[in-house]
Amino acid sequence: MLRVELTTQLLRIRTLVALACLAAVPVAAGVSTAGNAGHRNGGNVGLFGAATYSALNHALASLAFLEPLLLPVVVSLLGTAIGAADRDWGTLRYVYVAPVSRRRLLTGKLAALGVATAAATLCVPLAGLLTGLVLFGWHPFHVVGAANLTGGETAVRVSIACGYNVLCMLSIAAVAFALGILLPRGVEALGASVAFVIAATMLNGTPVLRAVQDVLPVHYWQLWTPLFDPIGAAQLGTGVLVQLGTVVVAVGIALLVLLRRDPAA
Amino acid sequence: MTIMISAENLTKRYGRRPAVRDLSLTVEAGQVCALLGPNGAGKTSTMRMLLGLSTPDGGRVRLLGEPVGLGAPVLRRVGVLIDGPAFVPHLSGRANLRLLWSAAGRAWPPPGLDAALDLAGLGDALDRKVRGYSMGMRQRLMLAQALMRQPDVLILDEPANGLDPAEVRALRERLAALATEGAAVLVSSHQLAEVQQLATHVVVLHHGRLVAAGPMADLVGAAGSLEEAFLTMTGEEDERAAR
Repeated sequence: MLRVELTTQLLRIRTLVALACLAAVPVAAGVSTAGNAGHRNGGNVGLFGAATYSALNHALASLAFLEPLLLPVVVSLLGTAIGAADRDWGTLRYVYVAPVSRRRLLTGKLAALGVATAAATLCVPLAGLLTGLVLFGWHPFHVVGAANLTGGETAVRVSIACGYNVLCMLSIAAVAFALGILLPRGVEALGASVAFVIAATMLNGTPVLRAVQDVLPVHYWQLWTPLFDPIGAAQLGTGVLVQLGTVVVAVGIALLVLLRRDPAA
Repeated sequence: MTIMISAENLTKRYGRRPAVRDLSLTVEAGQVCALLGPNGAGKTSTMRMLLGLSTPDGGRVRLLGEPVGLGAPVLRRVGVLIDGPAFVPHLSGRANLRLLWSAAGRAWPPPGLDAALDLAGLGDALDRKVRGYSMGMRQRLMLAQALMRQPDVLILDEPANGLDPAEVRALRERLAALATEGAAVLVSSHQLAEVQQLATHVVVLHHGRLVAAGPMADLVGAAGSLEEAFLTMTGEEDERAAR
């Protein structure tokens, strides 16, 4: 089933265009800042300030730039499509009589969700890395206000950052997937999941809503960036728990709907 | 004879509306059974329950002697066309066939692919995206999907929809040949003249209830044609006149 889902969803033009749009942002950002290669990027601090020092810096800065909005929108698109497309096309009944059991269908869809989310998330730093290689060259990871990271430190922190980002995006992918299973049509699920991302981002930016922010997955998405500050440490534990909790709840809802709903209803 | 399709006391409700009431039927190996009834009689609901796509509120279903549920393993031996054709629009006809075959973890190609594609007669169009197919082409591709499995049981909902007369004849001959080889075929259709040429047995539903069932010759009887017998059994003409 994984191959079926990947063939129908990941290799379709719409998905490839969305991934290309994601990849285009690091390219455009790299070209626009190429004049600062090897120097601090304007008056910026943190990842954005060091983006022009090396390919790795540009890769991580690209991820930090896209993670709050464009990346989750693309991930929502993938999540809702994996949840709803076969019902929209009417092929779900033919998959069931192929025959494919509910358990196998759900397992295949969840595996595809993981692969699609990882592909979308990692295409951003990959595009940033390739663009950075051409424009800024391969140099040690630069931290504004601190010494360059060693190769080992860079490998560990970049791995943690990428893994954490994939997990964060997996939480919104799971929400989109559950909406795709729950709502009658994929387009409605896509609208609802994009609205969720935007609303959650707005709520997260409203300081008086602290209690609400604490349960929003969006609230923890940027916790990884201190990994590349002079202190070099980030408190990711709560963020990991909230993302995992969101995934479990969303997948649980999807499973419940899938088990209880008559596929012909 | 071997009973291939069996339904016992099937009942299905959608909300408070009964769609199928206490329906029992059997189809044996070698039979082509037509499931007939006016619109809303419960034909498609019955077929969905036979395939495990809909859970009956009462009664039970067996295919090839095995109980049927959603995604039941016995469905590997069943060819299906239900609720019209449906494909992934951005894939070619061939890729769609491959997808539906390999979804169940089977190695491509299926045993009856060449014969099924012969009947579909799609030629080069098989490698074009389904998005551009006509209604008839989609129907033929879906029939190919049902037949490529070399099924022991065929359950086909309105299989002749969108087919031209030559294609309908080819389909009729193919289904008859499969039945001769020992398969059981259950078809629903409104094309009664066509059904009369194809089916050996008939099951008639009206308002979700079984009205008549038996060999074609017995049901047509003195009425002379299946159409006359059907309209008499269901009282459709009287109902239409009363409206």
